[in-house]
Amino acid sequence: MTSDSLDVDVRARFTAEGTEPFTVDAELSVREGETLVVLGPSGSGKTLLLETVAGFHAHEGHISHRGRDLTGTPPEKRGFGFVFQDYALFPHLTVRENVAFGSRYHDDTTDPDELLAELGVSDLADRTPKTLSGGEQQRVALARSLAIHPEALLLDEPLSALDVPTRQTLRADLVDLLDGVTSLYVTHNRTTARALADRIAVMHDGQLVQVGTPEEVFESPVSPFVARFTGANVLSESALSAVGDGEAEMVAIRPEHVVLDPATADFEAAVERVVREDATFRVSLSVGNGVGETTLDAFSDDPPAVGDTVGVRLPSRRVTRFTTT
Amino acid sequence: MSTITDGTSRFVGETFGRGAVVLAVVTVQAVAFATAVAVDQPTLYAVFALGSAAALVAASGGGWRGVAAATVGTLVLWGVLSTVGSLWMLVLAPVLLTLAVGLGSEGSEWTGVAAATLSTVLLVALGVPLALFFVRQDPALVAEKATNPEVHQMLVLSVYAPLLAALAALVCGVPLAYLLREGFPGQALVESLVDLPLVVPHSVAGLIVLFGFGRGAAFSDIRVLGTLVGMVIALTFVSAPFAVNAAREAFETVDSRLEFAARAHGASRFSSFVRVTLPLAARGILTGGVMAWARAVSEFGAVAVVAYTVQNYVSPLTLEETSAQHAPVYIFNTYTSQGLPESGAVATLLLLLSAGIFLLVRWAAYDDGGIL
Repeated sequence: MTSDSLDVDVRARFTAEGTEPFTVDAELSVREGETLVVLGPSGSGKTLLLETVAGFHAHEGHISHRGRDLTGTPPEKRGFGFVFQDYALFPHLTVRENVAFGSRYHDDTTDPDELLAELGVSDLADRTPKTLSGGEQQRVALARSLAIHPEALLLDEPLSALDVPTRQTLRADLVDLLDGVTSLYVTHNRTTARALADRIAVMHDGQLVQVGTPEEVFESPVSPFVARFTGANVLSESALSAVGDGEAEMVAIRPEHVVLDPATADFEAAVERVVREDATFRVSLSVGNGVGETTLDAFSDDPPAVGDTVGVRLPSRRVTRFTTT
Repeated sequence: MSTITDGTSRFVGETFGRGAVVLAVVTVQAVAFATAVAVDQPTLYAVFALGSAAALVAASGGGWRGVAAATVGTLVLWGVLSTVGSLWMLVLAPVLLTLAVGLGSEGSEWTGVAAATLSTVLLVALGVPLALFFVRQDPALVAEKATNPEVHQMLVLSVYAPLLAALAALVCGVPLAYLLREGFPGQALVESLVDLPLVVPHSVAGLIVLFGFGRGAAFSDIRVLGTLVGMVIALTFVSAPFAVNAAREAFETVDSRLEFAARAHGASRFSSFVRVTLPLAARGILTGGVMAWARAVSEFGAVAVVAYTVQNYVSPLTLEETSAQHAPVYIFNTYTSQGLPESGAVATLLLLLSAGIFLLVRWAAYDDGGIL
């Protein structure tokens, strides 16, 4: 841990009416200028973690940034910017007034019009938020957060309420916008995580289960949960008796690493379903071993027909083995 | 032309525009009422109101066949009414229609007609007596009262003291409403205390004020009996629940994430309240203030006990010391001492003034145009 990093080590218990108490217990460190993506399913506690870092929930443990202890600091004194999933723009203020909202509390701010131009929405400055599309609102919300030159930016699923084309455009812009900005970014979307993250922290049931580069998390998941959540096939070894060594209980392999090639096949499988996915096809294979059947997904640019039997090879260096579940 | 999606006159609204429809309906109702009064048959107007409501809704849902059916139905009702001669037929007809719709096929186009006629019974019960009250006043007597200085003082006090009470209720009630929205231990107890004046008989509320603020009580240096201070305290006591509850509802509609956003971008809790929460809740708070004011204007019991005649207060208009009575007290006093016509004339003035202020506030508070 360097003194420049945003260090978080919190334990917090949340109780809401009508739900089971939920505990978040997480330790992470966001390095200066880095984008750390917290990736986890709905209900994993990632938003609660982000809000705790922002200062909205009581907790045990410590939060510090650049060596400054923020544990007891109220949200407005932490020097963070916050971007919400549902934009949370002030409906009674114009776009320009929204972006300028924090300027009276900060000495060093950027001119709203300059930021709006940078985000490609300068023509909206005099409108009110409710007249804007989702993508436009999120650009304004980003401008509002960036205007105060936040020491770190906290983003709570900023893309998940947007339609797919808008999301893709804004995601591409975020790659540039977040460059060099210390950011803690929460999402359940692995594509977004992989596109934006310098490092990824996978969250499950209020705990961080793996922290690493996107490469490490996607290619070397530490558990079947991480493998499944990052889009890998997870199968019991017994279903793959043809390639198993009998020692692992579960194995994982990403669909893009499954090779459909009769010449080098380890075993054969029946094609159950073929679904177009952008430029390629997702091929769902039924793998049987006489005991039961399980599904294995692969990608293919030249897919076989449904019902065909194909030869399958699982390159062993691409297979992750889990001995305990 | 505006497209309306709510309510009864969708069809006519889309064809002619909303404002024009409202204006036309009001004009037709006024003419019908005037005609019925002119021929000394106010009951006829009640039948007409029922029939026109049915016809309006039928026109929006069922087209001209529905209008024809509603008209025939109303004529039959009129026939029965003039034979049996009972007001109860007026209530019975919509009830029977509603029952018929309820027992009949689901989603019938007559559901709206049944709802409209049943509602019209209530509207007639509220509106017709009020309209008859106005037309049966003696204009000369109203004009005489309107130039009476004593009545002027009464009207000024009846706007002024409730205004002070509403302001007091808002100044202390808005922070309380905010705290109630946030939630705190013992909240249920505080809520019960706030709502208590709603269930306490108002003459009892007057006694409570006397016991609490009168001689030998907690704040015995304040004179409440027969003073403006006493009257305002009594009015605040009975009207505060309206201000607090309306403000609380207004605060509850403010998305807490907006307050999060304000805090996250540097606003202190107070600054976030002033710049975000308060502006977004302003309309609801203003509504609460108007309701508290209106409630205070109409208060009789507590004022009659605490300050039957308010003595030696400084009038906000003349800035001179004067004595006067709160309107409900004054009107009751006039009724018992001078009779129905005199008190009716004074009441007319109070009603006109209240309605004027109420419409003014509504017009000011709702920028979407209107009171219609």
